[in-house]
Amino acid sequence: MSNSTVPRSRAEADTGSPSPAAPATTTGPATKKTRTRQSLRVRFRRDRLLLLMTLPALVLVLVFNYVPILGNVVAFQDYDPYISDNGVVSILESPFVGLENFRRIFEDSAFWNAVENTLVLFFLQLVLYFPVPILLALLINSVVRPRVRAVAQAVLYLPHFFSWVLVIAVFQQLLGGAGLLSQLLREHGHDGLDIMTDPHTFTFLVTAQTVWKDAGWGIIVFLAALSSVSPDLYEAAAMDGAGRWRRIWHVTLPALRPVIALLLVLRVGDALTVGFEQILLQRDAVGPGAAEVLDTFVWWNGVRNQDFGYAAAAGLVKGVVSIGLVLAANKVAHLMGEQGVYKK
Amino acid sequence: MTPNAASPSAPSRRSFLASSAVAAAAVAGGMPLLAACGGSDTKSREGTTSGKDAKKLLPAYVANNVVTPDIPAKNGSAVGFTARLDLAGLKTSVPAKLGKGGKVTIMSPFWGSPPKSDNAYYRAMNDLIGVDVRWQNQDGNTYEQKLGAVLASSDVPDVVVVPGWNMNGKIPNAVISKFADLGPYLSGDAVKQYPNLAAIPTDAWQRSIFGGALRGLPMPASYVPNIVPLYRKDIFDKEGYEVPRSTDEFMALAKEITNARAKRWACLDMKWIAFPAFGVLSGAEKPLGWNLVDGKLINRIETPEYLEALEWARKLFAAGVVHPDAEFGKNAPDPGPKFAKGEFLIYANDLSQWWSRTTEQAVQNPQFKVWGMDLFAHDGGDPTLWATQPANIFAFVNKKASEAVVRDVLAVANVTAAPYGTKEYMMTNYGVEGTHYTVKDGVPTKTDQGNNEVMNAYVMVAGPAATIAHPDFPEVARGQVEWQQRMGAFTRKSSFYGMQITEPSRYTNLGNDLEQMEDDVVRGRKKISDMQQWISDWKSKGGDRLRDWYKKVLDDNGSAAS
Repeated sequence: MSNSTVPRSRAEADTGSPSPAAPATTTGPATKKTRTRQSLRVRFRRDRLLLLMTLPALVLVLVFNYVPILGNVVAFQDYDPYISDNGVVSILESPFVGLENFRRIFEDSAFWNAVENTLVLFFLQLVLYFPVPILLALLINSVVRPRVRAVAQAVLYLPHFFSWVLVIAVFQQLLGGAGLLSQLLREHGHDGLDIMTDPHTFTFLVTAQTVWKDAGWGIIVFLAALSSVSPDLYEAAAMDGAGRWRRIWHVTLPALRPVIALLLVLRVGDALTVGFEQILLQRDAVGPGAAEVLDTFVWWNGVRNQDFGYAAAAGLVKGVVSIGLVLAANKVAHLMGEQGVYKK
Repeated sequence: MTPNAASPSAPSRRSFLASSAVAAAAVAGGMPLLAACGGSDTKSREGTTSGKDAKKLLPAYVANNVVTPDIPAKNGSAVGFTARLDLAGLKTSVPAKLGKGGKVTIMSPFWGSPPKSDNAYYRAMNDLIGVDVRWQNQDGNTYEQKLGAVLASSDVPDVVVVPGWNMNGKIPNAVISKFADLGPYLSGDAVKQYPNLAAIPTDAWQRSIFGGALRGLPMPASYVPNIVPLYRKDIFDKEGYEVPRSTDEFMALAKEITNARAKRWACLDMKWIAFPAFGVLSGAEKPLGWNLVDGKLINRIETPEYLEALEWARKLFAAGVVHPDAEFGKNAPDPGPKFAKGEFLIYANDLSQWWSRTTEQAVQNPQFKVWGMDLFAHDGGDPTLWATQPANIFAFVNKKASEAVVRDVLAVANVTAAPYGTKEYMMTNYGVEGTHYTVKDGVPTKTDQGNNEVMNAYVMVAGPAATIAHPDFPEVARGQVEWQQRMGAFTRKSSFYGMQITEPSRYTNLGNDLEQMEDDVVRGRKKISDMQQWISDWKSKGGDRLRDWYKKVLDDNGSAAS
């Protein structure tokens, strides 16, 4: 709140003070200026303790979120971190190459392949993964006995706490070429399955893993939203003769709508982040043709091949596209009459 | 970082490089030349150091034969020791502790699960050396992923072990700019303070010259190819399988072995066996992949044999004789347990696994017998094998380390490089008697604690001349050395054998996804024609210019190959 007033007052002061053409009006802005200043000072004094308390968080954000952004300058360099022992000096001494890295990116078929895989995976997860927590939340919400409900919730949450390494190892043991399922099939005279290493179905595999691991965790927000729906509404609807489905359609889902819209916008902002660890662990099993996404592309070129400038450029492209997607999704949310992540 | 920029100002220490710097100045930034090496300090230096210039840097060689080997080296093999262990007769090669009690941190690749940082073996070794070594063990299979980040940080450990196969991308530049010149401590007669280091063969030291300075502490190795097709001899004998002598025989055998219903497959990925079968130039290191043929340098990937080898490896996958785990590539589980269970009978890996698989299974699985298959030529004739390098793992000392730390590191190396037959060798390789191994009738047996703690930590720092000594399994030691000697007879050296070459940084990303392509082709995810396309792209994106660059290196240095 206070933030928004500061630039405004300053802007007015700026337009007011350098005005040799109209010296007569100087008194107006001047008094206004002092008034804002005073009120600012007063407010500052009043809130100084609160402001002081936000300071550590502010510093953290600055140091760990904003200062590193400056490092993106390596995207315009042939960056060699080994020139010097000091990262900053290395950046200063690395030669600038202009947009060369970006030119390389746009010519690199591997990059476009990663973009394609990322988008395919995003849409697939949007369709197959995003609705699952909503359905589960509705299901759990309809359970009346608290005991059963607690157990169901615990069972659903649990996989979220497994690391990806473990999840993938379990999938390999069960569905791998020499795993439980394939061996069972072979013992009964069928061919083994190739689920874990088939590049064509890899996106489905990844989505299935995500659903198994994280869908339960995703219901928390929806459950909270559901609990805020007044029981009166259900009662009234029931009185009017609405059946179970009508109640869900006309009471429950409208109540969830703002939350769904908010999460959808956030999800779209993350669209290009489709699961780094999970995919990196399985990249060699299906090859980069099917498994390379933008994050693993950046990792592979930056960390593995030390082509840091190139990787940073790819990361920047990803960042810019992500911002565009958030803005677009938010716009859509506004059009739907929802708030989205920020107000208009 | 243009190669020509660095040189003209500083007078070069090395005459041949100075001359090429003049040439570079004359060409004025036209064709890429070997020039940059003339630069004054530790800036990136491409090329290699050989001849007179190398001689000035190399440590003196003083042989140190404590025990006469039971099998002397032949055809480039290691020396073999098969005799019973005489604990009382062990010599002392380091009479006085050289360590001054300082603390040294060492980052090193580790295969398997590392022991606790404070354990009896590490304590005993540190006590023997007189240095407090703190290990930072990193997973060896994914070491390259850590290495780049650690070297880019300002917090580089005192010692970093870097295997040659991890020197991709800009790592060679990092080696040159981040690590100390050990020349003042080791060149010429200086090395004589460290008798065990003085006994390291000169060709291993030659490989340790990076960017015109002696920077590495080498682990000498046999130059005979190190990848062996290991097979389950016990099951072969029981089922009456014959060891194949050609690719066709291999395929026929593989089909006979495979019975997926009974959970048995013939092998894992055989790519690294297909290459020698078709006589493909070594892929162990980039420079080894080039060879001078009729006055022109040819890269291994340009040869028809290379594609034939990939095609054959692909056929194995297509025929369904490869264990499904091999599909996972680098993320495949450790082959040990499934090999022991007999889920597959053949796999290709380093020669050292011949012994380590044997010892792993010795107690709980007495029938288990692993043996090494001779490499075969695709047509059943004599194979054409290409030498690897005489040293391929190096320990480097941080440039910022004080002299005291460097001296302590050399004290560590002087113990770990002790030859077989010394107390230091036994301690380094077997640990403390009674705690890590017991001796009965001259046969040392590692205890559980020994198997947990005495793994590949100290042996990574520097090693004695290539040695194979397994008093616990003398027949394995004999098998390994004799395998090397038989294969050594077929081994030839390509043009850049023995040299340590740093490619110009603008070419370092050229071959980045080659291995990925190979694995995709072999697993049927990409076609041979995709590979051909990749190769022609490689040529136009810099492969051809790289060829010219290598030609220049060869013209300036001559070939060490015989």
